[in-house]
Amino acid sequence: MKTLVRLEIVRTLRNRKFMFFSVLYPGLLFLIITAGADKTKKIDGLDLTLVAYYMVAMSAFGAMTAVLMGNAERIAREREKGWVRQLRLTALPGRGYVTAKIASAATVSLPSILIVLILGATVKDVRLDAWQWVAILAATWAGSMVFAALGVAIGYVATADVARPISMLFYFVLAMLGGLWVPITTFPHWLRTLADYLPGRPYASLGQSIEFGNAPHARDVVVLICYLLLFTGTAAWLYRKDTQKA
Amino acid sequence: MSATEVMTGDGPGAVDRAGAVVAFTDVNKSFGAVRAVADLSLTLHPGETVALLGPNGAGKSTALDLMLGLRNADTGTVRLFGTTPAQAIAAGRVGAMLQSGGLMEEVTVKELVSLACDLHPKAYRVEDVLKGADIADIADRKVNKLSGGQEQRVRFALATAGANDLIVLDEPTVGMDVSARQAFWATMRGQVDEGRTVLFATHYLEEADAIADRVLVLHRGRLIADGTAAEIKARAGARRITFDLDGTVDEPALRALPSVVGLDVTGPTVRIRSDDADATMHSVYAAGLYPRNLEVSGLGLEQAFLAITDAASAEEAENR
Repeated sequence: MKTLVRLEIVRTLRNRKFMFFSVLYPGLLFLIITAGADKTKKIDGLDLTLVAYYMVAMSAFGAMTAVLMGNAERIAREREKGWVRQLRLTALPGRGYVTAKIASAATVSLPSILIVLILGATVKDVRLDAWQWVAILAATWAGSMVFAALGVAIGYVATADVARPISMLFYFVLAMLGGLWVPITTFPHWLRTLADYLPGRPYASLGQSIEFGNAPHARDVVVLICYLLLFTGTAAWLYRKDTQKA
Repeated sequence: MSATEVMTGDGPGAVDRAGAVVAFTDVNKSFGAVRAVADLSLTLHPGETVALLGPNGAGKSTALDLMLGLRNADTGTVRLFGTTPAQAIAAGRVGAMLQSGGLMEEVTVKELVSLACDLHPKAYRVEDVLKGADIADIADRKVNKLSGGQEQRVRFALATAGANDLIVLDEPTVGMDVSARQAFWATMRGQVDEGRTVLFATHYLEEADAIADRVLVLHRGRLIADGTAAEIKARAGARRITFDLDGTVDEPALRALPSVVGLDVTGPTVRIRSDDADATMHSVYAAGLYPRNLEVSGLGLEQAFLAITDAASAEEAENR
């Protein structure tokens, strides 16, 4: 299984086009969104600059994009080409396949998060403590695995043609309700409650808690772990059960 | 007697299924209204080399999918070594090469073979597997830059990455030229000599004739023949007799000769398909005819195969 994890990572790195867009896209989006923003302007009622808020939001959003979209479509395509059928004729357990796919997704999300943070620190003059930078990077990276697992599961349910629109849908809803585009304080109360129990919002708030100088909320971590188990479990089950010729 | 009745002796398999490598019992699988596999029962024994033949759409691929646990049967049971296909695969007892099996892209041949070895519970050394499949020379090439025949060899390497007891090959030589095919079967014989059970589906009947010691013929999801290549040829009316006659040829008289299955007359040339050439020729002489340029030859498996599948189709049409 070690070889599979290694090969999945290696071939992701070799796919330059895919790496290039997935890694640079969040950084570019961050620069565009904050282009006109006043670097010192704070969010209403919070001791946090708008730029810092967007930096964390965009690193999370970008990582989510990279792993969700990339995984779902690539897996659906692999299934159609029959590689997954071949792999199912080996002794590889379902969780091995999912683990390898999450590992390859994590290879993409780590540099994409790093670039947003570096842009924040250099171009946008965001100032945080050293531990906060490290913690934001670690938490955002770890959290992205939840969406990588979701990507694997979607790649298993959908054909290559519809994998992209389906993951788009998930990603818009999750990102929107996660407050990754607009601060969640603008939402009505019922929507905020709902958002707390979808993976997007807890994911975004991991980094935000750290920005405020706190540890991430236990409830957010628990919600994310539940989703990780749900998505990986579903994906592993689908891998073993998949009887579609595709 | 219909072809179906004649040909579907369950052979020794029906008696002893305890040590069976593969055992299908009354297996059915339908896709919508199409019965891809119908009431299929068969047993493969250790050490056999078995060819699975059938026209396109006969249910070969579905039967292999069921055997490998890639699909589940609607009814009936499929057992490999007395366990489920999934258990047999997890135990490293089965290696398979599928026609529909894609390969991982963006990696080299060697990396892919290393993966197969890593995943196999009883793996061989990567170098040996590469050599065994005759792909050591393309080990560093990217998988997505191979020719069709090379891809087939890589698939074969994946199927033989460890000490399997059963090897299943679906159209293994498709896309190979003649010399590559011969080289492939030479490699395959090595596997057979080590006591493996080999099951292969093929379109090239000469391969079945030359390599298999048992031939299964599927037709519309049913097993219509099970025996050695020689038996199947014999049962299909398997001798072709050709001779010339002087003067006018009396067709009805020839057709009435014993053991004649088919007759074709072109000018002075008579072509007879017979299931007992000795008896037919004896009565030709007894009738006072003097055949010239006499030739008696065996039918190839190809003609035999066509004869029995045509017979099965005709029978089906009658029953309808």
